[in-house]
Amino acid sequence: MPVNVITAGTLDPGIADLAPIVPDCDAGELAFDRLYEDNLSLLVAIAMRKFQVPEVDAEGLAHEVFYSYLKRKDEIRNLHAWLIGAICHACRYFWRQNGRRTEQLDQGMAMLRPDPASAGILDRLPAQIAARDALEALPPRYKEILRLRYFEGYSIREIADSLGVTVKYTQKLVVKCLRRAEQTFNTAPARKKP
Amino acid sequence: MNHSDDLRHIAECPSCRQRFSENVLPFDAERRRETAREFLATAFAMERERNSAADVVDRHLRDTPIEEWPGLAESQALRNNAALEQLSEEVRKRLERNPVQALAIANLAASIAESLPASAYPAIVLGQIRSTALRDRANALRYLGRLDEAYDSIATAEARLDAFPGAAHDRAIVWLVKAMILGQMDLFDDAEGMITAASDIFAEVNDSPRFLQAGLIHGNLLNNQKRYEDAQQVFRDLLSVAILGRDVEMQARLHNNLGYCATSLDDYGSANIHFSQAIARFTDLGFTGEVARTERGAGLVLIGKGQIDLGMARLSEARQTFAGLHMPEEAGLCALRLIEAMVERGQTDEARTLAASVVEEFTAAALDARAIDAVTRLHASLDADGATAEAVRTAHALVKSLTVDQAPAS
Repeated sequence: MPVNVITAGTLDPGIADLAPIVPDCDAGELAFDRLYEDNLSLLVAIAMRKFQVPEVDAEGLAHEVFYSYLKRKDEIRNLHAWLIGAICHACRYFWRQNGRRTEQLDQGMAMLRPDPASAGILDRLPAQIAARDALEALPPRYKEILRLRYFEGYSIREIADSLGVTVKYTQKLVVKCLRRAEQTFNTAPARKKP
Repeated sequence: MNHSDDLRHIAECPSCRQRFSENVLPFDAERRRETAREFLATAFAMERERNSAADVVDRHLRDTPIEEWPGLAESQALRNNAALEQLSEEVRKRLERNPVQALAIANLAASIAESLPASAYPAIVLGQIRSTALRDRANALRYLGRLDEAYDSIATAEARLDAFPGAAHDRAIVWLVKAMILGQMDLFDDAEGMITAASDIFAEVNDSPRFLQAGLIHGNLLNNQKRYEDAQQVFRDLLSVAILGRDVEMQARLHNNLGYCATSLDDYGSANIHFSQAIARFTDLGFTGEVARTERGAGLVLIGKGQIDLGMARLSEARQTFAGLHMPEEAGLCALRLIEAMVERGQTDEARTLAASVVEEFTAAALDARAIDAVTRLHASLDADGATAEAVRTAHALVKSLTVDQAPAS
């Protein structure tokens, strides 16, 4: 480099060079009033609907964004874009902070209050293992269809779309796969029925 | 227009904003009214402070000897947000030309901001005020090359915002300064990470000047790592953004930087085009200093291409402009490059005369003693007919390394 390009090219445009963007915000008290009234519900709605932030926290975040605006107002070029950008970042930051604050599970309490999903697991386990064996023995296409329908929770229409066939044909296909799985399950050797 | 809940669309469409907001009804209307009252009270108070502060900082700094500036922290007139905003502006103005004074003011601002009572402003505003003062301090320390202290200060500035998710914009500006500090500490990966995170926020809040500034810093970081092609790509991408935003100054700076990248890649034809574009835009804007810098770049390119006479003419022009603008370091750097060309051509008498002028100019401007010493030694070698082009290049490199070569960030 003949000269340092930082000197040559990165002079700060500076706050003073940025034209005020919200002309009516300097109009006085009415402007602040209107700014708050017109946009509070929008910011709370974004926090709640787009980021699932609880209402009380959503209001707190919106409030912070408005305060933050007071300090930066002379350099904001597009008010709504700024407010929306700020609340989106605030929500993501909120969840990052919230995630960090999540307390570790108390092992003692966990023993006293077992996960309902694991209740009676010993009774169900042999049947589940047998079902898995039956699935494993199916042709790949059958196995994939049953996986989509019963493990991934896809609707018949979604499976039809992914296979590129009609809904009616997909219904028949699922029934066929189930029958085939049942046959495999019943005819499997050396397995004790539950 | 297709109406939707897409946030970019909502930002532009009043009816969709209305529709989107109506679906959420306040759970506690009285609490909302109370928070609205608090917000308005703060807004009015801050506006009143700004309106009554006028030139309070300018007066205080003018009427107080520099060594007594720390004592101004006790002055009640300076202990508010409006005065601190003015102090921040004073720091910014002095960073390039007088970083020592900039640091003195930044220290004063930080001392005021950190000692404001918690009841003075809402917590987030207080966090922003403190963070800004500490960020300015970090920037001034960076200019002075006190990088460890700069890093500590910027880390504290960042920590002052930790508790406030709503301070996104402030946080991004802090990250930008932090990235420059990390870059100067040669921690390039960390610096790039910071710049990317800051750029995302600038894009999100539609702050295109700072988005472009972050891009420039990124490009310069790549350039400092000699990743010229990557830097060129960054500058090219930014140029399209600057053209779309009709930001002529930024276009000029980007063309200038692209000119230097092309020079580093030995693509002189492309470099010449970029420099010409930059000169045309800077001339339109009336930025004489920048025109001179770009002229110097073009001169170096022409010399690189073997067009020595033309290149030297450009460099002489740039040198005169810099001298007229009272920028002796820049004028001296032009002269040293001219001396190198003269030595290579055997024009020792001209080289000696020019070196003597540079010694005089550097001495008159009280520049760094090491720079004066380097040029004096070069002059002595020329007198003894012992100077080689390599000796001139060594002196040039030393003077260049001593110049303040970093950009401010607001």
